[in-house]
Amino acid sequence: MKIVGVAACTVGIAHTYIAQEKLENAGKKAGHDIHIETQGTIGTENELTQKQIDEADIVILAADVKIAGRERFEGKRIIQVKTETAVKSPNKLIEKAAEVVK
Amino acid sequence: MSNIKKINLKGHLLTAISYLIPIVCGAGFLIAIGMAFGGTSQGTLVQGEFSIWDALATMGGAGLGLLPVVIATGISYSIAGKPGIAPGFIIGLTANAIGAGFIGGILGGYLSGYLAVAVLKYFKVPKWAKGLMPTLIIPFFTSIIGGLIMVYIIGIPIAALTALLTNALNGLGSSSLLVFGGIIGLLSGIDFGGPINKTVFAFVLTIQAEGINGPITALQLVNTATPIGFGLAYFIAKLFGKNIYTPVETEALKSAVPMGVVNIVEGVIPIVMNDIVRCVTAVAIGGAVGGAITMVLGADATVPFGGVFMLPTMSQPWTGAVAILVNALVTGLALAVLKKNVSKEEERAEVEEEDIDLDDIQIL
Repeated sequence: MKIVGVAACTVGIAHTYIAQEKLENAGKKAGHDIHIETQGTIGTENELTQKQIDEADIVILAADVKIAGRERFEGKRIIQVKTETAVKSPNKLIEKAAEVVK
Repeated sequence: MSNIKKINLKGHLLTAISYLIPIVCGAGFLIAIGMAFGGTSQGTLVQGEFSIWDALATMGGAGLGLLPVVIATGISYSIAGKPGIAPGFIIGLTANAIGAGFIGGILGGYLSGYLAVAVLKYFKVPKWAKGLMPTLIIPFFTSIIGGLIMVYIIGIPIAALTALLTNALNGLGSSSLLVFGGIIGLLSGIDFGGPINKTVFAFVLTIQAEGINGPITALQLVNTATPIGFGLAYFIAKLFGKNIYTPVETEALKSAVPMGVVNIVEGVIPIVMNDIVRCVTAVAIGGAVGGAITMVLGADATVPFGGVFMLPTMSQPWTGAVAILVNALVTGLALAVLKKNVSKEEERAEVEEEDIDLDDIQIL
């Protein structure tokens, strides 16, 4: 399945990127197509394209703060967690996402 | 409980803090450099009567003086989106004017945000006036209601409370400082930049906004010393003939330690996850010692972030250096003693992930 998501933590220099890396690795390991945008203090990086969002089966938001551009995901299935959950249990989170899609 | 979670008070505060941190760091460095070279922060810079150091200190002082405004605007924005910005700004300035300070700014932000949402929801306007909604109606009504509440109802008690808190903290004797610093260090150490650490951060930042720098310095020095302690533990354990890290962990240390030196504690998380209880115990012991030393010696960074870069902004940089060193040594020693010797088989064993608590997940 195709997954898109956003990672954003409070200070925006560490958890954001750890969450991104863990989710992408876990997603790829489970054989999914996954793209995670990061919204750190430096701004938005690895920005999702409209095409990626349109094609995605599910959206994972790993965020401790308000994210920018949330309206892009209007009408999609969204799983929202704290970055901590994505950092601690990325594989379980991806499993959960697969269950939700079914 | 689920309702409280939905309102997400803490999330709004964290969002605001994420906007605040770069401002505090930028302004903090300006004022620290300016004051280190003999400048003073002035209300107005009179042409021809100030040095470049006065200018720097004034720039920094102006930025730091606006913290209640920034926190109010950030919270209000987080709650109400773009329409929350204007009233948050005005109510934040009102909090400043009445002397309600940072705590006033925080409450003002919530007030402004929810009022803006309420105005958006309950004020019905005819179609031709739709354009007036965001430009006039929300900012005006939210500001007048929120601002008057701030001035006449909550402002004065908060100002009194803030003064009380500030005086109490300024009056702490050295044994109280030891305990207070120890608690801050312990709490900020145990979850490595996670929610407990950020909650403590919000609290000590509030205190710093009132001009007391010790507690926040304690927090950040512990954050700085913790990863360094993990690095030291590697060598200390070697002295005992012990090998406490797997090759993967040793690899992680190579980036975690330099990250720690500049105040990013999160790099050690992958290592901690493999052995949570022992690592947290070691960090808590080291953090309590480091926090206590910071407070007792009176390390007082004006910049609440930056790791070793905070040292030059202190009135006595050596105090901060001592706190970091002792903290790192204690953490390192504790890790070396507590952690088990890693055998060859364990190096390969993959660690089972924690189960997800369903309460932590929102599916929309």
